[in-house]
Amino acid sequence: MTGPMTPFDHRPDVQLGEALRAALDAGDHPAFVAAVLARADRPARTMDVLATWARRGLAAAMVAAALAGFLVGRGGEPATLPEDALAPTSAGAASIALVTATRPPDASVVFASFVSGSR
Amino acid sequence: MKPDPPPVQPPGGSARIQDEAELATRARAGDRAAFGQLVERFATQARRVARAVLQDPHDADDAAQDAFLAALVKLDQYDPRRPFGPWLMRIVANAATDRRRRRTVRQVEPLAPELTGGGPRPDRDAEQSALGDRLRDALAELPERRRIAVVLFDVEGYSHAEIAQILGIPEGTVRSEVFHARRRLRELLKDWR
Repeated sequence: MTGPMTPFDHRPDVQLGEALRAALDAGDHPAFVAAVLARADRPARTMDVLATWARRGLAAAMVAAALAGFLVGRGGEPATLPEDALAPTSAGAASIALVTATRPPDASVVFASFVSGSR
Repeated sequence: MKPDPPPVQPPGGSARIQDEAELATRARAGDRAAFGQLVERFATQARRVARAVLQDPHDADDAAQDAFLAALVKLDQYDPRRPFGPWLMRIVANAATDRRRRRTVRQVEPLAPELTGGGPRPDRDAEQSALGDRLRDALAELPERRRIAVVLFDVEGYSHAEIAQILGIPEGTVRSEVFHARRRLRELLKDWR
């Protein structure tokens, strides 16, 4: 397109540049500038704010999930029972407490139940 | 860690860098008029670079707008010793590339052989319009980085070193990209001489 110029030439190709410029020019420059400035002046939209919250919520949920996973991996806290339930006053007391407990029992409760049952 | 390369001097030299740095500083401090001047100065360039990536003029304008707003937010990252244009064009190229990745990629049909022949020439306007269509199609056939490189070099007048900074690639790669892009575009355009 430019005669003596080769693709190796380190100077800008004026003719090719002009043709590309004409092909890529979008026109209506003032409208574009005004649109950018209007967007810059516009307060954050509701959706933008919600999107920010969503990102933070997602991050918090990930932290919570990681923490829960860590605690589950460690086995969590042992179940606690009232002291009187642990006392081997009768053969059935510890066993009843063991059966009615809503959380997994401590090993000592199982042991107490076993000892009281074997007497 | 490698030290930063020396700042590249744009056409207009240090006075222009100083002017742009001052505008950027004022814009960062909340001066909307200063930001407006920067937008005014770089809008045409930003829109062309975005269009080189996106083809669709509306998408390109949206990407260029996004880039200006992103630049406004990131102004504290701009090094005032360096020219503003390459810093901004990097944001523009990234914004356009992101937008292109998010949407469905339009398949570009290769030019039909009959379109590459000579044939009768209509009037000059129609000819220019056809040339524009053909150039845009030809650009669309090029790999994205090649497209941006040739537009930044031959249209916007950036140096190879500046384009290397904008695209984050070695200068030699920029030379190669410009070379291949020119060769292809000249091939497609030779009938229009």
